[in-house]
Amino acid sequence: MTGQIPTIAEAARQIAAKRLSPVELTRACLDRVHKLDNQLHAFIRLTEERALAEARAAERAIMADGPSGPLHGIPIGLKDIVDTKGIPTTCQSKILAGNVPGADAACAEKLAAAGTVLIGKTTTHEFADGGPSFDLPWPPARNPWNTDHFTAGSSSGTGAGVAAGLILGGIGTDTGGSIRGPAALCGIAGIKPTYGLVSRAGVAPAAFTLDHIGPMAWTAEDCALMLQALAGHDPRDPASASRPVPDYSALIGGGIKGLKIGVIHHFHEVDYQVSAGTRRGIDDAIATFRDLGAEVREVKLSPLQDWMACGSLISMVERAAAYEEWARTRLGDFGERVRSRLMLGALVSGVDYVQALRRRRELRAELQAAMAGLDVVLTAAQPSEAPKIDTLPKWDVFETPSFTMPFNVAGYPAISVCSGFGAGGLPLAIQLIGKPFQEPTVLRIADAFEKAADFRSKRPAMIAALAPA
Amino acid sequence: MPSEISDEALDFLLARAGLSLSNAQKAELKGIYAGIAQMAERVRKPRGRMAEPALTYGFAEEDLP
Repeated sequence: MTGQIPTIAEAARQIAAKRLSPVELTRACLDRVHKLDNQLHAFIRLTEERALAEARAAERAIMADGPSGPLHGIPIGLKDIVDTKGIPTTCQSKILAGNVPGADAACAEKLAAAGTVLIGKTTTHEFADGGPSFDLPWPPARNPWNTDHFTAGSSSGTGAGVAAGLILGGIGTDTGGSIRGPAALCGIAGIKPTYGLVSRAGVAPAAFTLDHIGPMAWTAEDCALMLQALAGHDPRDPASASRPVPDYSALIGGGIKGLKIGVIHHFHEVDYQVSAGTRRGIDDAIATFRDLGAEVREVKLSPLQDWMACGSLISMVERAAAYEEWARTRLGDFGERVRSRLMLGALVSGVDYVQALRRRRELRAELQAAMAGLDVVLTAAQPSEAPKIDTLPKWDVFETPSFTMPFNVAGYPAISVCSGFGAGGLPLAIQLIGKPFQEPTVLRIADAFEKAADFRSKRPAMIAALAPA
Repeated sequence: MPSEISDEALDFLLARAGLSLSNAQKAELKGIYAGIAQMAERVRKPRGRMAEPALTYGFAEEDLP
């Protein structure tokens, strides 16, 4: 076990051996929710009764027939832009305050079928954009490593919830970094899979051609277990890829000797200079990869700002199109940050949008060529440790380029994993990017790094301060 | 692409989008318009007229290992 809180893989082994009860595990998570979530606001809505009923059902089934898989009896959370049948799904917005879906989103359905226990719906930035906001019906999530600080977003509640052990894993969505950002600032793992690998059916859109669904958990190994349940073709999602689903854990623990890693130094050293702590975390990670036997090379791409411009213009227009009706009729019901983002769509012409789409094809071809002969590329996940939550500029899209957006533009799989802690005691992270549908390799390398670097034994101090349940 | 937008042009674009904004909101948009103009310039590269935009989903064979 990792301290008081098991990883999904550890819990699955204990449950299979009948040494850990799903009911006890669920109660322990709920106990931490009750003690910590008044500070964290990781949940917008708890489903406690349902969770306990699901845990009891899982326990009965496991006692009779053994677990159906590694997620059987595992407590999770779903970002509140994921439809859940009979459970309010608000997108953290006044616009959908009374919305109760009639069906589960595909990812909710798949995780339920895998036997997970739903602890609740996790906090998000409004419609997965713009936050953190203080003018919404619910407060923004806080970072468990220091609650004065930002979680990043928009999958903020899932990031905070996993880091604090309120859940063992959860669903995030990622249009420009909304899985990898909170994973980075909350010190957990989060993978944005290849575009089309995980169905988006039943999940509120942010920008259609940039949207991805993926798992967030304490480790890359746990992300592999969750991705196994989530991946696969779904005709309800027009972008769903029709490909066989491999074993995402097959390469875990296989070592990385001889694998080839490209480092996009200019992204985080020239195009935008990350903090000294983040730079040190990246350099230390590169040294760790070399120690593990990987070959490390330099990779050059177009400037980070080109990728950011491409993704941002596409995002502004697609978001404005998705929410055009409400922007016209209920603009005042959005929070200030999303309201402002929705206005931007009016300023981007149709020709600008098509030029951005043409640029995307060029940039993706550039990444494909640069990755020839490589297994993954590496860069920063965030520019620094988590900033204070009340210091974030409203128009950061024009001020700080995103290290994550390039891989939404390309649609390539990318994971953020913890690479240490900065001077302020907050987590640092690296980002590893693989080739399309090569998640097993991305997860293998991320797992090898986590195990060699040994940052997974440290949890936020607020957990250590809890009395035993 | 100009880095500034006139009041008249902004009013036209907002009306076309069906958005009713306050004067303060309009002023804010004018203030950040240069950022959008810079992004729009960045996606314009020398390319032939035959260069098609990316597919919106799926990957071509050449993307795959």
